[in-house]
Amino acid sequence: MSQQPLTTSVQPTETYGGDEVSALVLDPGYCSTRAGYAGEEMPRQVIPSFYGHIDGRDIFGDEVIVPRAGFEVRNYMNRDSVVEDWDAATKIWEHLLLKRLQPERPTPPNKNGLNIGDDGDVAMGDGDNNDENMVDNLEKPLAESPLLMTEAPWNSAKAREKAIEISMETWGCPAFWLSRTPVVASFAAGKATALVVDVGGANASVTAVHDGMVLKRSIQKSPIAGLWLSNQIRTMWEQNEPKVDLVPTFMVENKKPVEAGAPADARLRTFPFPIADSFRAFEEERLLTEFKESVVEVWRGPGRYMAPGNEDYARSQPGRVFEMPDGSNQMWREQRYKVSEGMWDETAAYASAGADEEGRVSKGQTILSLIKASLEGVDIDLRSNLIANIVVTGSTTLLNGFNDRLNMELAAMYPGLKIKVHAAGLTSERRFGAWIGGSILSSLGTFHQMWISKKEYDENGPGIVEKRCK
Amino acid sequence: MSQSGATVSQECITAYNDLKLNKKHKYVIYKLSDDNKQIVVDSTGGGDEDYEDFRQKLITAKTKSKSGAVGKGPRYAVYDFEYQLKSGEGIRNKITFIAWSPDDAGVMAKMVYASSKEALKRALTGVATELQANDPDDIEFETVIKTVSKGTAA
Ligand SMILES: Nc1ncnc2c1ncn2[C@@H]1O[C@H](COP(=O)(O)OP(=O)(O)OP(=O)(O)O)[C@@H](O)[C@H]1O
Ligand SMILES: [Mg+2]
Repeated sequence: MSQQPLTTSVQPTETYGGDEVSALVLDPGYCSTRAGYAGEEMPRQVIPSFYGHIDGRDIFGDEVIVPRAGFEVRNYMNRDSVVEDWDAATKIWEHLLLKRLQPERPTPPNKNGLNIGDDGDVAMGDGDNNDENMVDNLEKPLAESPLLMTEAPWNSAKAREKAIEISMETWGCPAFWLSRTPVVASFAAGKATALVVDVGGANASVTAVHDGMVLKRSIQKSPIAGLWLSNQIRTMWEQNEPKVDLVPTFMVENKKPVEAGAPADARLRTFPFPIADSFRAFEEERLLTEFKESVVEVWRGPGRYMAPGNEDYARSQPGRVFEMPDGSNQMWREQRYKVSEGMWDETAAYASAGADEEGRVSKGQTILSLIKASLEGVDIDLRSNLIANIVVTGSTTLLNGFNDRLNMELAAMYPGLKIKVHAAGLTSERRFGAWIGGSILSSLGTFHQMWISKKEYDENGPGIVEKRCK
Repeated sequence: MSQSGATVSQECITAYNDLKLNKKHKYVIYKLSDDNKQIVVDSTGGGDEDYEDFRQKLITAKTKSKSGAVGKGPRYAVYDFEYQLKSGEGIRNKITFIAWSPDDAGVMAKMVYASSKEALKRALTGVATELQANDPDDIEFETVIKTVSKGTAA
């Protein structure tokens, strides 16, 4: 995943930091995990939270997820964006923090057991280089680096304790902090109080933040996010005339150009081993993300897409051509609006089969319902301040038209109230909002007083995280 | 303590009490010290100054970054609003906390203020309402008084 350079007009005129120690910032999401140094404006490393599993070992990073025999793709999180497999989480985080970022550390790199395997993979846990071994070799690999991690606002107490335990005991971090993603995303927008709308991969959520604290009763979430949209696209392609075959890039050996709507003229690769569904699904997701970036759009109004006349109007507008990896291509017109409409209007959703078992969207799951329910969960006096300070984050909000629609719907829902949606103009800021907030927070000169120190941890145990990181 | 670790200097509380108890000021504007470690008093006002003077002070507030560059600056403020009730039932006073974070201030400055605000809010007891404002329109007198009075001002 490439990083977007900052244009000069928004480039901060300073680096945030100033402290000698560079803290590490780790922001795990269901689709990707982001890591980098405090005080920097972008994460240096962004890798999929999906990883490969082959012959009893795990391998990490975009570039190692390629077709192989007996290869499976897994995710260390569950669909709630909460860590499910702690062994894998620890390994993937070590891969990011130790191997990819290589912060200064006591042990020289040639002795730290992080040597790259022959095939370019990071083979953790295979052969004689097993994982315990690796960490032992390193002794305390992060003994010099304070670590700030982010978490979903509904993260469990157990998972929070586990995170500090790994950081302190396995890695030997001298200091640790856990920030909830909506809090740091609202800080990054310069707000202590905000209604944070985060539409990511596995989850969409709305959370009220007041004076830098999450209001627990405001937390609302639903699966109507990026992966759901992917399934909507799948269904749309299946129902299309002619049906669109979802052939991911890795399947295509070569292709010839064809007319729009004509069958593909391509030679597909064959493999002498079966391709796991999990690998195929991962590859499909890449293609679906491309389609979202370049074709899908949110209906901006007036009214909802399903209102009489709108579909005909959309059909008359210029379309977008999308070429599949096999060369087949067609023009997408009204469908590119229709496919995202279920986010706003449950009656417009395709009843998708496939991975999304729930199929239909229920009324309570749309973004607007989440916002409504979230506001109903907070003190009535706070509501107008929250509506005037809405912060939009998460990659699915990059859909063209998303903010316009949100504004329009909110104005209709709350007539007479001042509504202000803050959405960073830079796509990178919207994709990495929580990471950026964590980066700045942990680089503030005063933040050293906030960290949970190793000493405090040793005296109190992992329960300290519940007390301190409220 | 706030999330940033910044603390509140005693003078902030003294000035606030002068406003609340002694009616010595109409408003107090607070800022972060140059090293961002402490919240301090930027200015106080009252007497023959009116709301617009206060608003101009916020709009023109500056912050110096670490590198020395001067740009727009966020601020905190308390303002003791006084208004007539529409219903004719007399006059009301409401001490209002304003978090001023102009959209065009630097990201670093905004972040320092956002993550330090809680410390000040906690230190000032008896604030009736608060608002978070991001552009000059947000702090127009008409807009603010409507919010503060919940529409009951004449
Ligand atoms: N430009 C874009 N337009 C629309 N959708 C996009 C765009 N770029 C990425 N996506 C989608 O955004 C989703 C990932 O979002 P994000 O990175 O915010 O998720 P995450 O933080 O990893 O996951 P979660 O928040 O659910 O734990 C994917 O489903 C991807 O297809
Ligand atoms: Mg996320």
